[in-house]
Amino acid sequence: MTGDEQFKQEVLRLAGAEVLTCIQCGTCSASCPTAHLMNPSIRKLIKLCLEGNKEEALHNETLWLCTSCLLCTVRCPRGIRPKAVVSALKDIAEREGLRSKDADYEQFFLKQIKDYGRIAELALTGEFLLVFPQGAVQSMQMGLELLPRGKIGWEIEKIKGRDEVKRIVEELREK
Amino acid sequence: MKLAYYPGCVSKSTGKEMDTSTRAVCRALEIELEELDDWNCCGATHVSNDLVATGLAARNMAQTDLPIMTACSICYSNLRAAAMRLEEPETLERVNAVLDKKYSSAKIHHALDVILEALAEDDERIVVPLKELKVAPYYGCLLTRPTGQYSPEFPVVLEELIKNLQAEPVDFRLKTLCCGGPIFMPQEKAADDIAFRILKEAKKAGAEVIVTVCPLCHLMLDAKQKILEKKMGEKIEIPVLYVTQLVGIALGLGPDELGLEMNSVSPMAMMEKVYEKNSE
Repeated sequence: MTGDEQFKQEVLRLAGAEVLTCIQCGTCSASCPTAHLMNPSIRKLIKLCLEGNKEEALHNETLWLCTSCLLCTVRCPRGIRPKAVVSALKDIAEREGLRSKDADYEQFFLKQIKDYGRIAELALTGEFLLVFPQGAVQSMQMGLELLPRGKIGWEIEKIKGRDEVKRIVEELREK
Repeated sequence: MKLAYYPGCVSKSTGKEMDTSTRAVCRALEIELEELDDWNCCGATHVSNDLVATGLAARNMAQTDLPIMTACSICYSNLRAAAMRLEEPETLERVNAVLDKKYSSAKIHHALDVILEALAEDDERIVVPLKELKVAPYYGCLLTRPTGQYSPEFPVVLEELIKNLQAEPVDFRLKTLCCGGPIFMPQEKAADDIAFRILKEAKKAGAEVIVTVCPLCHLMLDAKQKILEKKMGEKIEIPVLYVTQLVGIALGLGPDELGLEMNSVSPMAMMEKVYEKNSE
């Protein structure tokens, strides 16, 4: 099977050409706090990208189990940023319109930044629960903790430079 | 000393006590803070496009000529990562093309290093030394990553500060393990498991309090602690303080000034012990 070269090149463009130098040592997987839940592992994910296996690289839970903790990135002996590979795949998945609860959460997050310039956690949670009602129990439990302590922000703050932020989000997005 | 202060989005909600205590401690240490003008969200861990994330950070950094301080490790990591990327001329050019105020350079501080620099070891402003208090130094991930001022493998800066306050840092093996916070909404179980591992390890290490440098770590370990106890069927009962709250207590600041009533697990018993030790 010949891989999807265009997909591979797009990952390299977004995550850095050094990804090509991966020696599959597995330091990234060994460092990952959610490795035990990942299939494929982060090491395997990089291999899939280099093989141009777009289908398997994009359709998995691994992308969404990454906590962005960057331990893989500070440890990689080849100077690759495995987390940047995950980000590149999320970016490609979004452009291709692949939806999941996790992808929706990131979209709601980015939309708030674009519309307001800041995050309003309450509104973000509300929006997310509409697509993922299973999260309601956790949100209620946390709400009960935060509410009496005055830690729920009721207002949506909008910054003055919203047009500028919108430009950053829309125009810097590499198509 | 005068710094530009970047409070970050959670300063208005789940991280209010981080903001309150940061301002109070800086006031006490005569560090003047000027809130960054019209600041925007740093993107946290949810903006996958590198250039967009860099642009969001660059807009914040272009608002001031002063060094910038934040108490949030996520904001701190994002600003630092962006400053590194903006050293590439091509990135700088592309980002500046969409900015109103152009970015040239920036110096980024976490509140932790500002405090450490301002507070000497035998500083006479430490009026309530935290004698014999066993503190778990919890770094989480993003204070030390990407690589910069502190070792990402084995940082010791929190231990240093804890000792300066005359408290005792415990040997905390999971001090740099991610708290799971960034995925807690869509991936609840994965996040809960990691957070509870950290809490259990702190308990095993004999900690009387856990100190954090990030509002998301704080949310996972403090606001979620009772929920996790119930879910996992095991008691933890360890207060979790922001580093600014811990320092504030040692500086003799009151609970209101430090937002201590906003913590889920009450630190009052721990504080009583500290006060008792000081009256001996």
